[in-house]
Amino acid sequence: MPQVAVVVFPGTNSEDETLRALHAVGLEAELVHWSAPESLARFDAYVLPGGFAYEDRIRAGAVAAYDAVMDPVIEGAETGKLVLGICNGAQILAEAGLVPGTAGMRRPTAAFAPNASGRFQSVHVYLKLAVAPERVPILAGIEPGAVIPGWASHGDGRLAAPNDELERIVADGHLAFIYADRDGNPVPAPNGAALDCAGLVNRAGNVLAIMPHPERDAWTYQHVDGSRDAARGDTAAMLAPSGGIRFFEHFAHAVRGQVPA
Amino acid sequence: MTRAFAVSLIIPDNAAFTAYETLARLGIPAARVVRSDIWLFDVAPEAAAELSASVAQIETLYNPNKHRLVERTSDAPEPGEVWVASRDEAPETQIAGRRLPGVTAIRRRTAWRLLDEDGQDVSQSDRDRAVATFLCNPAFQVAIT
Repeated sequence: MPQVAVVVFPGTNSEDETLRALHAVGLEAELVHWSAPESLARFDAYVLPGGFAYEDRIRAGAVAAYDAVMDPVIEGAETGKLVLGICNGAQILAEAGLVPGTAGMRRPTAAFAPNASGRFQSVHVYLKLAVAPERVPILAGIEPGAVIPGWASHGDGRLAAPNDELERIVADGHLAFIYADRDGNPVPAPNGAALDCAGLVNRAGNVLAIMPHPERDAWTYQHVDGSRDAARGDTAAMLAPSGGIRFFEHFAHAVRGQVPA
Repeated sequence: MTRAFAVSLIIPDNAAFTAYETLARLGIPAARVVRSDIWLFDVAPEAAAELSASVAQIETLYNPNKHRLVERTSDAPEPGEVWVASRDEAPETQIAGRRLPGVTAIRRRTAWRLLDEDGQDVSQSDRDRAVATFLCNPAFQVAIT
């Protein structure tokens, strides 16, 4: 059974709901704190959850990107292990140069920069797949054009990069997800992100960074699409995994595909 | 005309200390890291004399119990200092929801200064390495010296 580490930095705040989503899709996962980098090598995949690592000091994700606990994550990514970053985890992966990964480790070429509004925003969104899933092992099994619900809840989620890098992100298939409506029609990014980007993937397709939180819309009682109201009075239906949990089902499929049973 | 103000902490600066620790991990020999927020105000000449008093009254920018507020003589970095700014910055016209008399644009920078054990600036090569590897993300920021 593959083992997944949920990497916790000082200031991470979404580790429990991320762990719960991973357990719900049948993965063996556990929290690993930044103070125990030596314990990370044995894991088969890594998830960096949301929050405010190191209080977003200097820049969102910047300090964590240089933390010693990222050394085994980077080494694992370079050997093909799957790495998923959600929100602050995505910011860390960008600062660490893992996504889009066009210049090497810890040489960032893009960033999830402060929102165009200048404010923290929390809005319900849908992520639409924008890359051919067969090129991206971490998205293996996801259907083309799939739409995943989640919450964009961040102050620094605007993809920013020089124009030539943005062209490279598109041309080389690093744009993993864009913002869409529930029917899959593209919509402007709520944070002003270039390319309306909601997620980036590296060239090898084993490192994925997404800004919205699918783990916060992964149970019926969390949904805003009316299904929560329809489930009132039915405890089992209310507590059922659905919506954003599909994203983790695909992740689990990919993890199991990478690691022989 | 542009007037510059530096706001720094008189209580321990946790962000500066975190930067110091990360720079140490990168092998950059700074014994102390000094950080300030720089606020640049484009202000009409006839309103410039009142600007300092106006800025000092914005408690979200300057709290005398924890900050030091200094009006700079120049709107450029001091020797040894580097300012980090957003590359696609759009100047604001308000600060903390308030307009200041005569102010037409407000821009913000983060000023960094790396000092050695004698309180002198580290070498330019060390400073440049700190900026290039950590203090500035060139994807969306620019370093001004």
